[in-house]
Amino acid sequence: MKKSVKKTMVAVILIVAGVGFLIYKGVSETGVYYLTVSEVTGADPETFTDRGIRVSGKVVDGTVEYNQRELLLTFTIKDMADDARTMKVVYTGVVPDAFKPDVEVILEGSYERETNTFHAKTLLAKCPSKYSKEENGEKE
Amino acid sequence: MVNFGNLSLVFAFIFSLASMALLLTGLMKNDRRFLESGRRSLYGLALFATLASIALGYLFVTDNFQVEYVASYSDRALPMFYKVTAFWAGQKGSLLFWAWVLSIFTAIVVRNTRTELNSRNTPYIYLVLATTLSFFLLLLTSVSNPFELLGFVPRDGQGLNPMLQNPGMIFHPPTLFLGYIGFTVPFAYAISAMVVGRLDETWLRKTRRWNVLSWVFLTIGIILGGQWAYVELGWGGYWAWDPVENASFIPWLIATAFIHTAIIQERRNIMKVWNMVLIVLTFVFCLFGTYLVRSGVLQSVHDFGATGLGGYFLVFMTVVLFGGIYLIAESYNDLRSKHTLESYLSRESTFLFNNVLFLAIAFSTLFGTIFPLISEAVTGNKLTVSQPFFNQVNTPLFLILLLLTGICPLIGWRKASADNLKKNFLVPALASLAGAVLLFMGGVREFYPLTAFSLSIFVAVTIFNEFRGGTIARSKLTGEPVFTAFPRLLYKMRRRYGGYIVHLGLVVIVIGITGSSAYKLETQGTLYKGESIRIGSYELRYDDFRGYRDRNRDIYAATLSVFKDGKPAGTISPERRYYVNAEKPTTEVSLRTTLIEDLYVTMPEIGPNREITLKVTVNPLLIWIWIGGTMMVIGGIMAILPNRKKKGAYDEIH
Repeated sequence: MKKSVKKTMVAVILIVAGVGFLIYKGVSETGVYYLTVSEVTGADPETFTDRGIRVSGKVVDGTVEYNQRELLLTFTIKDMADDARTMKVVYTGVVPDAFKPDVEVILEGSYERETNTFHAKTLLAKCPSKYSKEENGEKE
Repeated sequence: MVNFGNLSLVFAFIFSLASMALLLTGLMKNDRRFLESGRRSLYGLALFATLASIALGYLFVTDNFQVEYVASYSDRALPMFYKVTAFWAGQKGSLLFWAWVLSIFTAIVVRNTRTELNSRNTPYIYLVLATTLSFFLLLLTSVSNPFELLGFVPRDGQGLNPMLQNPGMIFHPPTLFLGYIGFTVPFAYAISAMVVGRLDETWLRKTRRWNVLSWVFLTIGIILGGQWAYVELGWGGYWAWDPVENASFIPWLIATAFIHTAIIQERRNIMKVWNMVLIVLTFVFCLFGTYLVRSGVLQSVHDFGATGLGGYFLVFMTVVLFGGIYLIAESYNDLRSKHTLESYLSRESTFLFNNVLFLAIAFSTLFGTIFPLISEAVTGNKLTVSQPFFNQVNTPLFLILLLLTGICPLIGWRKASADNLKKNFLVPALASLAGAVLLFMGGVREFYPLTAFSLSIFVAVTIFNEFRGGTIARSKLTGEPVFTAFPRLLYKMRRRYGGYIVHLGLVVIVIGITGSSAYKLETQGTLYKGESIRIGSYELRYDDFRGYRDRNRDIYAATLSVFKDGKPAGTISPERRYYVNAEKPTTEVSLRTTLIEDLYVTMPEIGPNREITLKVTVNPLLIWIWIGGTMMVIGGIMAILPNRKKKGAYDEIH
């Protein structure tokens, strides 16, 4: 192989290795756990504490309280599969348009075991798309 | 009209199958008459695909709600304009749009190659196009028929999602689709070149305009998508690394890489394998983009929900990918270049590095997009990644890419000499350094913004140098004064200078992205009438509130006086809209845009006493993203303006 080609190949390999490293570092530094409510509340106290947690669950009807002046929202969510598994959620900020009882929400933040409370930094409500429902039933 | 539409679709499908059969027969029997009929069938296909599209448009315009698709995406109150655009609001219509546009593109190819049927690869080009069309028409006539009836006639339709009732939404999907679809043509040329073993750069020359035009459409589509997200979704940003955004970004990255190395192959006849790989990948990821929206495998704001089409797309993508890999492997020996890189310090090698970086960004974006799907299976860890991952990984890669954008024109083809480098680098490097020092003293201290801004200066200066040098040289040569020499230079060498304008657009976008992401201000709060909220140098005072009915929606609007540095600076008026057919209200952003910064206000909540919750964002330099995007599009179009001279006029190679 020609020297110039060799040098270029070495440079390309270095870049590829660098990118691999960036991706590895990216995952380990910005990755979060994606869990269900049961997994969060039922876990060993030692686990899932080293990084952020994203959790999805269903908003329990009748538990939503919102102080608009303080932008303080509290509610309870239950596991998507197991109604008995619940935890309290505290969130400060603007409530998404699609947020309402019985809707699925995705939270990101940290879990406080002593009070069974999830401190959410972000709150996403999944909109129950009127289209996807009928499309789902259509065929597969 | 429903029957007419259905029938047109069936005819289009028959024509596409017939075309495939005729072409194959013609190829096997080596009989020109079959090939000719196969070729002509593609015109018939285009005709009937057009008729089917007209039929669907007609059904929308005439409120024919017995059709399930029309009933799902339109209603009587919808303005006529949006009734027409509801055509591609859902998945069935957008698939028809795909098939229709591809059939038109195919007809254009068929017409342009009408004298080339004797050339061995031409039938294969038709065959690839006809096969792709057959795939879409198969879906349209079976599992995804836009003319399907409900079985009853509802009194009114369900209406168009209010978020789609926005001017940006009219052009965002079709331009993106035009980009996706356009790459089918170069893909077809590449495949046919490999099948018949004509592996010189002819296929690249013939498809250059298709490549760049598709790239331009993809660029417009992505930028309009960002603009739509910005003014409509109301979260204060324009890009969230959402799976579907990524799905449009990945083919754009690969296509951009391809356009660069295509230039190298044209000039130096190297990187043939690489270009084949890139065009196959581009096409696969165009399909992937179409697939991802329909698969329901990832959660996204764009999702059509699980439509049951994912499997079909997956099969087609697999066929394309493995077929492509097989052909490349088969012709690998012929594709291998006799020439190689002559120096690692040459323009070719900077192109190679830029390619590696484009692909690296594409890969990390793909990785982050599908990581949630593979993470548990592969690592056993319930890990996922989101926005921060993409920003952390891609920012340094983009900055290196930006640096290369500046270095590339400074380095000569084949081999750069040290003298040549010193001469070319000195001024831009000094300018960039001086800019960095000034910015640092001005308060830009963080590493990434400082690097991004000073690299931007570096690239901009190198490009201006190119413009200046070219103009002076032309002026000397022709005796024209500078101000006529400059536009004439741009026009004469538009392929080259179009490229530079694209690069300049990129620089402008980088400035916009850096400013708006590194120096963004955000605040939120609830106000009673007369109260104020402060952000940066702004103060907003809540003055007035009103509600009224407008066509198909109720509108509630707050009026706020804006003060900048204590001086009155107009008013701003965020709204909440309740569309008659929507379950939830939508937030209407109120924007005050200047060249320096955007003031961005939404009103996510209205209390019982008309206290309003506001979310206020200041996005510095954000408008430059749209300006830079426009420059990119203009540069791209400039590079493919037709020659006035007749064929063979390749006098102005890059």
